[in-house]
Amino acid sequence: MSEATPVLQLDQVTKTYPGSPPVEALRDVTLEIAAGELVTIVGPSGSGKSTLLNIIGTLDRVTSGTIAIEGHDVARFSDRALAGMRSARIGFVFQQFHLLEGMSAMDNVATGLLYQGISRSQRRSASIAALERVGLGHRMQHRPGKLSGGERQRVAIARALVGDPAIVLADEPTGNLDTRTSREILALLEELNRDGSTIIVITHDLEIAAQLPRQIGIRDGMVEFDSSDAVTVAPLASLGTIGGRA
Amino acid sequence: MVGTGTLGLRSRWGRTVLTALGIAIGIASMVAVVGISASSKADLIAQIDQLGTNLLVVQPGNNVLGEGATLPPEAPAMIRRIGPVESATSIVKLAATTRQSPYVPKEDANGIDLYAIESNLLATLEGSMASGRFLDQGTDDLPVVVLGAVAAERLGIRSVDGGRRVYIADRWFNVVGILDSLALNADIDRAALIGLDAAVTMFDVKRNASSIYLRAQPEQIESVRRVLAATANPHAPNEVSVSRPSDALEARAQVDQNLQNLLLGLGGVALLVGGIGIANVMVISVLERRGEIGVRRALGATRHHIRAQFIVESSLLALLGGILGVTLGAAVTFAYADRQGWLVEIPTIGLAGGVGAALVLGAVAGLYPAARAARLDPAEAVRPTN
Repeated sequence: MSEATPVLQLDQVTKTYPGSPPVEALRDVTLEIAAGELVTIVGPSGSGKSTLLNIIGTLDRVTSGTIAIEGHDVARFSDRALAGMRSARIGFVFQQFHLLEGMSAMDNVATGLLYQGISRSQRRSASIAALERVGLGHRMQHRPGKLSGGERQRVAIARALVGDPAIVLADEPTGNLDTRTSREILALLEELNRDGSTIIVITHDLEIAAQLPRQIGIRDGMVEFDSSDAVTVAPLASLGTIGGRA
Repeated sequence: MVGTGTLGLRSRWGRTVLTALGIAIGIASMVAVVGISASSKADLIAQIDQLGTNLLVVQPGNNVLGEGATLPPEAPAMIRRIGPVESATSIVKLAATTRQSPYVPKEDANGIDLYAIESNLLATLEGSMASGRFLDQGTDDLPVVVLGAVAAERLGIRSVDGGRRVYIADRWFNVVGILDSLALNADIDRAALIGLDAAVTMFDVKRNASSIYLRAQPEQIESVRRVLAATANPHAPNEVSVSRPSDALEARAQVDQNLQNLLLGLGGVALLVGGIGIANVMVISVLERRGEIGVRRALGATRHHIRAQFIVESSLLALLGGILGVTLGAAVTFAYADRQGWLVEIPTIGLAGGVGAALVLGAVAGLYPAARAARLDPAEAVRPTN
């Protein structure tokens, strides 16, 4: 492994939500993800994995500890700088797709570049290229309502990829899909990873987690195991007691 | 930016149109009020221009004791000597009744005044004949009469054909002409007119004019007006009343102002209600579109982007209402003015103002919903709702 700067670095990250009593959603989370990895963060609901997703995606801020994306300490970033970071370096894929109903697949993908100050024509051509990459070259002008669930998720993946981000964060990307379509989406993510994208898949589904090269287990706000860590080789079987989704 | 702002409007057309309708009604009523009153005013002004504003009337006023004064007999001649006076003519009121026949009791005479006139009256008042001809030098001393429009109607005479006669005092007069209605001189409309010479021979006439009509050069009208009283009666200028009939019409053009302000106020209330409607719909829209807001934030939109998007959307919604309202208001004005036979005049400031007011209102109405949208926590907004 080279000594290049990791794409993502969390050091003793803690997130506490105020209240009585305060909720400690994350406790001392330390992890590193290198460029080109395909990682899954797996844990039951309430484990803190959603909070971790929001922290990594810079949608939420840490209470203590540091988070660096491509070496930038984003904890000190202003709201505007964080928005810039999200628009250029982070791509999101959501369980519920979150496509905009009023526009075509192509325009939805182009929206991924809207806040980067890129011209309309460039947004369009990048959008076409991204849709072709996810195998939807024939569905560009369709509105989300006319697409199947799997196709919608492909559009969402194209939107996340279109800006060529450092990290793609996929939150339960197969949560709303049937088994066969789930398998296709996972295959697509693996293929995109082989082409060089760094992808983090957040899931509660052990079966899906097992198919990906590296698993980071989260429970009660702490890293329970990391399959890349030689010392704590925790077999997935030990996770068998983890409950299903809420 | 505009494309992003219209997305929400295009996705919910029914709601967009209904919301815009609120603004449209407010703007339409204001444009219609301004347009209708402007059209009415334009019509009056056109009327005034046509009648001419250079007609003045000199009449005897009251003396210091409050009794009716008289004009000296030489007053018309004196007035004609004022330089800028183009023409002047006097009429003398006669105390005699005008009836259809001797069999109509004198008490039932139709309130028709009788005036002895000079033959240049028609030219000075710029009147025209509905039927027959006016009195002239040749007929001045004959028992012939010209009727004003209202007087003729009251006597049941529509035309001079067939040798119609009326009974004045105690003898028959032939009707030789009927006047068109004179907009500025309603008193002539209600009168029977006979020649001054005939009057002198047939009645006991004092030569004191009851009214003197004169036309002056339009640009000299004020200076003529100033010297008229002293010219007509040098010994007692305070006993002379000078008026300008077109002033009454101009006053009428101003009277509508209060009503117009009231109606504008009502239109303003409608507009305000429309604006609140927009704010309401935008607040609901922000709640419904939490997911979209969250995704946009995740895609890199700043709070500022989100705020701008909703303000633009709200402004465009109001702009749509404004354009709709201005069109509607102009159509109402056109239809109303057309029915009244007026000139159609819609002030461009009303049109531009209507659209501008809607735009500003929309932006203001969007401020609060936009601020709420911008404050949304992005992590909260993208969270699955199940």
